[in-house]
Amino acid sequence: MELTLELRENAGLQWVLDGLTPMSPFGRAAARTPVWYGPGEEIALETELDNVDRALTLWTAKDPAPLRKLTRCLPLFHDLRGSLDRDPDNPFDLVELFELKHFLVTLEQLAEAYSALTPFAGLTLVPMEAALDLLDPERRRLPAFSVSNSYHEGLAPLREEKSRLEREIRTAGPEEKPALLERRRVLTVQEDQLELEVRAKLTRGLMQYQAEFLSNMETIGHMDLLLAKARLAQRNHCVRPVLSADGTLALHGLRHPQVEAELAKRGDEFTSLDLDLGSGCTVITGANMGGKTVSLRAAVLSQLLFQCGYFVFAETARLPLFENVALILADSGPGAGGLSSFGREVYLLDGLLRQANEGRFFLALDEFARGTNPQEGAALARALVRHLGGLDCMALMTTHYDGVSDAAGAHYQVAGLVRELNGDESDDPRRRIARRMDYRLLSAPPGAPCPRDALRVCRLLNLDPALMELFQTDL
Amino acid sequence: MTPCPPLEAIDKRFRGLYDESTTTLRILREMEALFVKKLLAPLVGDAPLVTVIGLCKNAGKTTALRRLMGELEGECLGLTSVGRDGEATDLVTGTEKPDLYIRQGDLFATARGMMGLCDVTLEVAGLTGVMTPLGEVAIFRALSDGYIQLAGPSAAGQLPPLRERFADLGAGRVLIDGAAGRKSLAGAGVEGTAILCTGASLERDMEQVVAETAHICRLFAVKRPEAPRLQTALDGCEDRFALFGPDGDRWDLPLDETGAPRWNKLPRDRCVLWAAGGITDPFLKTLARRGAPLTLVTADATHVLAGRTVLDGFLRTGGTLSVRRELSIAAVGANPWSAYGWHFEQQRFLDALRQALPVPVVDVKKED
Repeated sequence: MELTLELRENAGLQWVLDGLTPMSPFGRAAARTPVWYGPGEEIALETELDNVDRALTLWTAKDPAPLRKLTRCLPLFHDLRGSLDRDPDNPFDLVELFELKHFLVTLEQLAEAYSALTPFAGLTLVPMEAALDLLDPERRRLPAFSVSNSYHEGLAPLREEKSRLEREIRTAGPEEKPALLERRRVLTVQEDQLELEVRAKLTRGLMQYQAEFLSNMETIGHMDLLLAKARLAQRNHCVRPVLSADGTLALHGLRHPQVEAELAKRGDEFTSLDLDLGSGCTVITGANMGGKTVSLRAAVLSQLLFQCGYFVFAETARLPLFENVALILADSGPGAGGLSSFGREVYLLDGLLRQANEGRFFLALDEFARGTNPQEGAALARALVRHLGGLDCMALMTTHYDGVSDAAGAHYQVAGLVRELNGDESDDPRRRIARRMDYRLLSAPPGAPCPRDALRVCRLLNLDPALMELFQTDL
Repeated sequence: MTPCPPLEAIDKRFRGLYDESTTTLRILREMEALFVKKLLAPLVGDAPLVTVIGLCKNAGKTTALRRLMGELEGECLGLTSVGRDGEATDLVTGTEKPDLYIRQGDLFATARGMMGLCDVTLEVAGLTGVMTPLGEVAIFRALSDGYIQLAGPSAAGQLPPLRERFADLGAGRVLIDGAAGRKSLAGAGVEGTAILCTGASLERDMEQVVAETAHICRLFAVKRPEAPRLQTALDGCEDRFALFGPDGDRWDLPLDETGAPRWNKLPRDRCVLWAAGGITDPFLKTLARRGAPLTLVTADATHVLAGRTVLDGFLRTGGTLSVRRELSIAAVGANPWSAYGWHFEQQRFLDALRQALPVPVVDVKKED
């Protein structure tokens, strides 16, 4: 499945990925391109989660020294994939050879640190001692590179002669200097040619290890990403998700980290949610500003994180695998391609339903069909719930329309504006609503009517009294 | 009279000279060189870092740098430049002759793209992460004598970490080929000392050249404020602008929506204004127009971009200038020849400068 930027942004996955702290360029590249585990890849996904678990034990180990030895190496790597993407007959320049040597020396240190730890499953570093010996024939492993005399038999005598000449130049008078400098220039040209020969030979030798270089870079990136995933999980108290055996989904103590962070900035707390979903469409109803969309996004985010091999922002999580995960939000920003918000919803839904026979999918819809007239909109939403009930999918839909939940497999309602309070009229309206709102999702019978809270919400938001009066008389 | 150099210096200099090609004449010349009067080396003393800056093109910056390198032989030098002058295009195509000849063992930092223009035997000693249009700046060690081309970091903030890298690699002293041109004294803002090069290319009128050079010297001589509490307060200040009382108490500074102070709200009593950015002509004029005494504190002398007439105007209205970090000029080098076809009479020029400047003035071209 393709993780589009829109899906990543809407679900909050991008926000989570941006919070990762990989230390190497390879880890950063790996974090930018999440790997998707679909149905049939359960074993690979479990291995990945095992590895994140393993990384988590490393971070929480009593003795941080062994891990520190490893993490110390990671920021030292440079991304040399550009240099390695070349014709072997095109010689590396001196700095590139230095970078390759630096990479190989650091790789040796990394391999040594890694060997002291319990290895990650499936992650092995290919030893490249032979390649390093090409760049360090004296095996001194110093962090510097030059074309030393041992590379070519012609270099030592030439350099010795040049050095003798240079000593003469140091003490030469102005009249003899130009001739000496000219002799030196001829020697430097010869030296350059010999060095070029050496570099060409070294390049051909090193390029034979191209596959090993690339495979190690991949492995380092993966290792780095695992450590970053574990650190993310550790900081945010994430939980390892369990693969659901019966195809149902259960998320308890579910949070949306992006919303949670925004609330924390204002000094508020996130109310965690419990969500159990089976096949077919589950409907969420509830007051405006009751967190319906947030629960929708939290569910999608958890599913995406799970299928990308991440831990989940919840207390417990049991999730199945889907071929496809989609989130259709009612708001269509700019760039909707000439479609209205309703047009866009229908267009996206149509695209998804056409792929419905390709495998089980997860679909989250935020107030589907709210952009058209209420009578037709409600009918379309009801029809969709019924239609989804007959497909191999799991769907979650928020709505304000009555009668939509009748046909749904399950029905959740936001507990809503339950608390009666007075005396905080001067406070921020958002906080006034939050104070009165119980954000928990409660199981409701199918067909239970949608709450009528628009009036109260408007009042709490301090809507113009004249307008409020007209509104009230009309109701 | 020049004192006799220490024996180890003589030993160092002659080591390697005793082979069949060595003639008595050369040894004698070598001895002679040892006793040649050193011009710049005694003036920079043991400053760990020396920046050579030019007030204009053709001020003799490279000559001064070469001379200093010659006088400091025996030391392991770390060399770099602040960016690259306008000649870069020519240099990239390799049409211009390389200009610095260094000794075996010296270190230098230059852009990767300059590698082909250096004819010393190179050892790559490290990378800096500093990107330039000519590629990343790398640190090299010269395994032989030879010519190099410098194109170092262009932002002054990138120099201190580079200086540390040089020190880690064993450089005893760092020399920076600073920028040329009045508007950019960047590079001289790092601790250490500077050699300021001035010359006839700056202005046709000698008096003007002397006055402008004196202006720069005066800026470099500006001191830190004396009140210890004020010093502490300034050292910890990270704002763009801040206001203090003469003793270092933080005063309220009303800012407008662009983040600049509301000048008409500034107190009329003597106060201390900290400005982190460049001090320009309009900025100083605004302060002078207030007509109330004020101490302006800037990060260091290189941040003052205002001309000398405007600065004079500010000082006349009771303003004083102060810096957070003091800098120094060890010597002024003077080139009486301009690139534009006129020249000053050498001795008159030197005399005029010596009379106007509080620092030693040297003629770097002079052989002895």
